[in-house]
Amino acid sequence: MNEREKLLKKVQMYSFAVTDAALFLDTHPECSEALSFYNKYKKLCKEAKEQYEKAYGPLDVDSEQNNTRWAWVDGPFPWELSAN
Amino acid sequence: MWKYEKKLEYPVKIKKPDPTAAKIIITQFGGPDGELGAAMRYLSQRYTAPTPEIKAILNDIGTEELSHMEMICSIVYQLTRDLSPKEIKASGFDAYFVDHTNGLYPVQASGYPFSADIFQSTGDPIADITEDMGAEQKARLTYDNILRLVDDPDVRDVIKFLREREIVHFQRFGEALRLVTDKLDAKNFYAFNPSFDVKK
Repeated sequence: MNEREKLLKKVQMYSFAVTDAALFLDTHPECSEALSFYNKYKKLCKEAKEQYEKAYGPLDVDSEQNNTRWAWVDGPFPWELSAN
Repeated sequence: MWKYEKKLEYPVKIKKPDPTAAKIIITQFGGPDGELGAAMRYLSQRYTAPTPEIKAILNDIGTEELSHMEMICSIVYQLTRDLSPKEIKASGFDAYFVDHTNGLYPVQASGYPFSADIFQSTGDPIADITEDMGAEQKARLTYDNILRLVDDPDVRDVIKFLREREIVHFQRFGEALRLVTDKLDAKNFYAFNPSFDVKK
C-alpha cells in the first residue's frame, strides 16, 4: 500500500464512522454519546481529507482548487483499480 | 440535491479478473434485491414520510445505497477487465458482452433488466418501512449466496462489508418503525395512515 492509498484509507475509515453515526443519530437525535462520537470523527475526517487533498487533489468538486489546472478532472476515478 | 465525493465508501481492489463472478455479482446492481432498487425505493418513499426522523433515515440510507451501487459496479468493472474473446466465451460472460461489451448495465444475474416493479412506494409508512426491513434481509441473503459462490478474498472482503451494512440498515428501519407506531393509536396501528389521514 503506497502513501496515497494509506491516506485514502484513513479518509474512508473516518468518513465511514461519520456516515454510520449519522444513521444512528437519525433515529436517536437526542443521544449525546452518539453526538460526541459523530463530532470526534467528523473532525478527524475533515483533517484527513485536507491532508489527502493537499497532496493528491480534490475529493469534492468544490474543494479548494489551484489556479493553474482544474484538478477535479484528473484520474484515477474511484472505481478504477489504481484508485484504491 | 447531491454532491459527489471522489472516493468509494470502502476500497475495491480486485487483482484478478473473473467474469464468472461478475455475472452473479451484477445482480446486486440491477437485480430484485440490488442496490439500485434499494436507493430508488427509499429515495421515493421519503417524500411522504410522517416525521422528520423517518424522512432523515430514508434520505440517508437511500444515499448510502447509491454509494453501494457504485461499489458493486466497481467490483464488476474490475472483474471484467483485460479479457480475451476466448475467456469471455469460456466464462459464459458472452451473453452479456454481446449487448454491453464491458459497459455497466443494471441487470439481474439472469440477464433480466432492472425494473421498478421490484419495489413499492405506498404512501403508508407502516407498509413502506415493513417492506424496507424485508428488502434489507433479502439483500443480506443475496450477499450470503454470493459468499457461497465466490472464493476470491479481494471480492469477499467487499461483499462482507456490504452484507454488514444490510444488517445495520435493517436495525435502523426497525427503530424507524417503532418511532412511527409510537405515535399511532396503540390499540390499532392501522386505524389511520399518519401520512394521509388528518388526525383529529
